[in-house]
Amino acid sequence: MNRRHFIGQSAAALGLVTGFSTQAHANLPKAEILVIGGGYGGATVAKYLRLFSNNTAKVTLIEPNASFVSCPMSNLVVGGSRKMSEITTSYDNLSKRHGIKMIQDSVVSMDADKKTVKLASGKTLRYDKAVVSPGVSLMMNTVEGLAQANKAGVTLQAWKAGAETVALHKQIAAMRDGGTFILSIPEAPYRCPPGPYERACQVANYLKQNKPKSKVLILDANQDVTSKGALFKKVWAEQYGGIIEYLPKHNVTGVDAKTKTVKLEVQDDVKGDVLNILPAMSAGEIAVKTGLANSNGRWVNVNFLNFESTAQKDIHVLGDAIQIAPAMPKSGHMANQHAKVAAAAIVAELSGWEVNPAPVLTNTCYSFVNDKEVVHVASVHQYSAAEKTFKTVPGSGGLSPAPSTLEGVYAWGWAHNIWADSLA
Amino acid sequence: MRVKHLKTVLIASAMIGIGQWSSSALAQNAAADNLYKRGLAATCANCHGTDGKGVLDGGMPLINGLTSEQMLATLKAYKSGAREGTIMPQLAKGYTDEQLETIANQLGKK
Repeated sequence: MNRRHFIGQSAAALGLVTGFSTQAHANLPKAEILVIGGGYGGATVAKYLRLFSNNTAKVTLIEPNASFVSCPMSNLVVGGSRKMSEITTSYDNLSKRHGIKMIQDSVVSMDADKKTVKLASGKTLRYDKAVVSPGVSLMMNTVEGLAQANKAGVTLQAWKAGAETVALHKQIAAMRDGGTFILSIPEAPYRCPPGPYERACQVANYLKQNKPKSKVLILDANQDVTSKGALFKKVWAEQYGGIIEYLPKHNVTGVDAKTKTVKLEVQDDVKGDVLNILPAMSAGEIAVKTGLANSNGRWVNVNFLNFESTAQKDIHVLGDAIQIAPAMPKSGHMANQHAKVAAAAIVAELSGWEVNPAPVLTNTCYSFVNDKEVVHVASVHQYSAAEKTFKTVPGSGGLSPAPSTLEGVYAWGWAHNIWADSLA
Repeated sequence: MRVKHLKTVLIASAMIGIGQWSSSALAQNAAADNLYKRGLAATCANCHGTDGKGVLDGGMPLINGLTSEQMLATLKAYKSGAREGTIMPQLAKGYTDEQLETIANQLGKK
């Protein structure tokens, strides 16, 4: 931000202050806005709060990780065809280009009455508006023995990209040829509906080339593949015949780290070599702890016009943590879209303007079925004032007709652009 | 006299109040309208870059070389099915014509 621009904005803000509705106008540049979590939702809302306020809003972003590691594309690292450096982006531009105050720390508690957050470092920060974008928590206690198996280093989830992504690839690389990789999927909703099926493809792609006697066994608690079902099943039959076995209605209830045995609710136990057990998920821990998860104790109900929590005023919640609208996926793309609606609504509200009564969201999700070919699902969600929720537009959205390398190029195009849109 | 004087003051202050209110309300409406347009255009930014400025050689077709007229024609062709594509025909069908026009006006080359 150059000096002239800054002075211009300040003068404009002052001009508004002297006009009608003094209080509301004064709120935008004065308000302390704290963003908790720097994923697709948090990073984007921080940046767009600055953009939409013409750099007048005061925005602080609290994120424990030193850099952004993308969950989308991370299955390619699990499968070994891509490296962590290709899915990692610095947070530097958020402060350098956009004037966002970055704090590398985690929030241990929030006091919604006092409007404060407490950081792990011991500091307490005050807010006028908080935006909580905490992602998901893995409910380890929903699978008996899973916490112990994780602790013993036998199992890991790699459902939040980072060190576990690399560790899971290492487990697969170290597996004997003829071994079985077990991937279990919890009942929907969970983060990234097609993610587990893409992961199965990436692991199978690796095994096909490196350990061809091995198997991928998918134990799915759901009735059927939850996303891109026909496309994935066709790929499994055509490209990974004899490698991928898919078992729907197989709900994992326990795991024994010593014998690497997976226990199922209905069927007999199964043994594997590498166990990638994904338990049920809830809104990120801070949202649950703060009492925001007022939908079944798991997800956060929000007002879809501004993404404000229905449990606490002035706390807005984005991304995977919310109780979704019909056909709204828990995806990084969707979190980025939530963030823009929330940013515009917060800027409008603090300026004393009417909040946009008709926001729009899109979703685009690419899945790699091998290291080059991709299938997509896309949707458009318009706000329905009558039903106070987002609804997909009939006749819009859809799937790829078949996997293609062209969409493989677009998938990377999507990744590079959304990373830049959220972080650069 | 006294009452009359007070009345004048009241009318004068009311008029000043209205004057301030209407000029400020106009400014607010223009700014709020601009925010609405920016917000709608931002639904495209995930794939085509913030403010339509896509990542060069990022793999996604760039849109910022198009004028607003060209962009609107392209979007409408995707919506009607006249133009083929992978995702864009599916997404364009989710927007109203007015929304597509707003987006094209926002993101088209000035």
